[in-house]
Amino acid sequence: MRKIVSLFLSFALIMACSSSDGEPTEVADNFDRSAMLVNWADNIIIPSYEAYASAVADMKASTDAFTTQPSLTTLGELRNNWLQAYTAFQSVSMFEIGPAESVSLRNYTNIYPTDAAEIESFVASGDYNLTLPSTIDAQGFPALDYLLFGTADTDAEILVKLSSDSYSTYLSSLVDRIETLSSQVLSEWKGSYRDTFVSNSGSTASSSVNKLVNDFLFYYEKSLRAGKIGIPSGVFSSTPLSDRVEGLYSKEYSKGLFNASLNATINFFKGKHFESESTGESLEQYLRYLSELNSTEDLSVAIINQFEAAKSAVSQLNDNFYFQVESDNSKMLQAYDELQKNVILMKVDMFQKLNIRIDYVDADGD
Amino acid sequence: MLVSLSALLYFCALFKMNPNKNRKQKMTRNYPLAVLLLVLALFSCDDNEGLPEVEAPSSYSFERNSQSTVSFSGQTTRIKMAEELNSAFLDFDNTTEALLLEMFRNDDGQGGDVSPFEDADLNSATKSIKSKVAASQDLFAANTTESSQIKAQFESWIAGQINEIYPNRNQLATAGNAGQLADGTSTRYVNAKGLEYNQAFTKSLIGGLMLDQLVNNYLSTAVLDAASNKEDNNAGVLADGKNYTTMEHKWDEAYGYLFGNAANTASPLTELGSSDSYLNKYLGRVEGDADFAGVAQEVFDALILGRAAIVAQQYEVRDAQADIIKQKLSEIIAIRAVYYLQQGKIALENQQYGTAFHDLSEGFGFIYSLRFTHNPIAGDSFFSREEVDQMIDDLYGSTNGFWDVDATTLDAISASIAAKFDFTVAEAGN
Repeated sequence: MRKIVSLFLSFALIMACSSSDGEPTEVADNFDRSAMLVNWADNIIIPSYEAYASAVADMKASTDAFTTQPSLTTLGELRNNWLQAYTAFQSVSMFEIGPAESVSLRNYTNIYPTDAAEIESFVASGDYNLTLPSTIDAQGFPALDYLLFGTADTDAEILVKLSSDSYSTYLSSLVDRIETLSSQVLSEWKGSYRDTFVSNSGSTASSSVNKLVNDFLFYYEKSLRAGKIGIPSGVFSSTPLSDRVEGLYSKEYSKGLFNASLNATINFFKGKHFESESTGESLEQYLRYLSELNSTEDLSVAIINQFEAAKSAVSQLNDNFYFQVESDNSKMLQAYDELQKNVILMKVDMFQKLNIRIDYVDADGD
Repeated sequence: MLVSLSALLYFCALFKMNPNKNRKQKMTRNYPLAVLLLVLALFSCDDNEGLPEVEAPSSYSFERNSQSTVSFSGQTTRIKMAEELNSAFLDFDNTTEALLLEMFRNDDGQGGDVSPFEDADLNSATKSIKSKVAASQDLFAANTTESSQIKAQFESWIAGQINEIYPNRNQLATAGNAGQLADGTSTRYVNAKGLEYNQAFTKSLIGGLMLDQLVNNYLSTAVLDAASNKEDNNAGVLADGKNYTTMEHKWDEAYGYLFGNAANTASPLTELGSSDSYLNKYLGRVEGDADFAGVAQEVFDALILGRAAIVAQQYEVRDAQADIIKQKLSEIIAIRAVYYLQQGKIALENQQYGTAFHDLSEGFGFIYSLRFTHNPIAGDSFFSREEVDQMIDDLYGSTNGFWDVDATTLDAISASIAAKFDFTVAEAGN
């Protein structure tokens, strides 16, 4: 008898559990996705690539000047233009869609830690093919960071090294490769891809909004949060890995590069035009629109506040993240925690509100 | 009570005894009855129903005279050998075909001693990987023909790595040409048909070595009850110079192929998935999929209870646990096979060939491993040689292999694997 009673109880339980909770009925989302894509393409993405390509052209010019006439002066100019181009790259790195995706721009431009031993062996043998996936950690800005700052202890010794044919050839190859990729991506955006991108304004998984918002979050989560802060501070390993910082060899630019990246991320979220105070249709506006439509809280406020909290945590850090990890890693971890909070706000809450599915999974790890 | 008992038997039969039938279909046909039965089953469907109670400890530790009776050092050794072999596949600067073969055979091919491993203990060991590949009592004792074909297949993947991949490692791979492909920030090295030999080898070894030894050999009654094992176990007769009975040791050896490389072998679930690159790793991966959470504990509990049952001389309890382990570990292989085919399909749609071929290479190995599963009802593998060969051929058999395969084929293979089990392609595929 007891069994029969429990049978009915559990029957009732199953029924109760399975009754659908039902999402609150949402009003139709008529946000102008098309206008947002136009704002992204014309006021943010293309101008950012133009600035990047122009900084890369300057870097190439100073590379030519250096290899023609190596001196501490031309080396200083080259380093300066390297930093300008590296900083400009932080504003385009998140747009790994279309032409950038098809050439794997980020992987061929900014993979670190760079493999110094492999670079040395390429320099020594002169035998390398920078289009091979296996060479991504021997090229790009991190490889230049090593060549320009890490090949010897003093600037005078570095100058001697880089003046030799083998190093100077490799230096030029690296810069040419960056130049080729940047101009290829820019010319495709200025060609047909801009219209392809803007006209794909639907809300399917392959639409431009869904894809770019995924790329944006992937960048924020993997490159910015994990790559720049989380991995060096040991969040993903048993001990901190200070030699995984961006700008390891130049020693003083990791924070500057980080800030450029975070600012670009925030500006994209706000729809802020490149190097201007004007704003246009954006994720921020989209979230605000949805909150008014559904009379719910405006998530964009929480996200922007969290961006500010992250900025303020990062402002506590030394310019050289290597030094920061070695001297007081807890500040790195605090910065990581603030960045992580926005992963949750965006990856869970924002994606749900925008009705966008995450299209990437955490790598299998093997 | 009688009704509920027969309903229970019916439902247990539906659930446990016939994994080949599609459970969902049956339930929709007679929905109210099925729900009632489900409720009953939830309450009473216990695999040990009707069997005597056996006390099981909470960890895998057993003692006699205050000394541990647990021993599986041979399994730990083979897992460690397989780990070194796995890394050596992509060590382009140092590896040769001869070295890989020495690691596989732990001899020079003529029975002479070799020292291919970095770990000196492995060099001094007399054991080898190869001797236990496709070497189980249940599947291969009377099928040495297939066994030797399988061993030769593993050696051919080694040869392929050296002869096809190494010379082309600094070329971009294209259809018909070996070389490298980008998979995110990783580089994958594939043959002319897109297959990574190292993945084919290691994922096939999960079936060919670990699973085969575990489910088709050490958990086989033919091994557990061989010779006078039962009488000796009943009488407490210990193996020569050991603190365990032979039957206890056989069960431990099964355990060792899953947990033998754990830091804490008695309570290995806290580090599940990171103890090795083989069966432990993929039990961990499946456990990490919400659709299958709990499976690791189920397998672990069954291993403990079965071992306790041997101590308690309750052989029906032991065999019931063996069946659970055989079923569940076979499912792990099948779930991962489907998972990689489905992941490969998504990557192919996005034209990410490096990512896709890496997934398909892992899937290839897991499909190859299906041959070494064990269906406790049939007492044989879930998949015949012909079935496995057909799937491999569908996946990889065309001129350019993975470069030619399409989503329809990947879905068809996935469905045919899932059809043998109680999971769906969708559950396994994400």
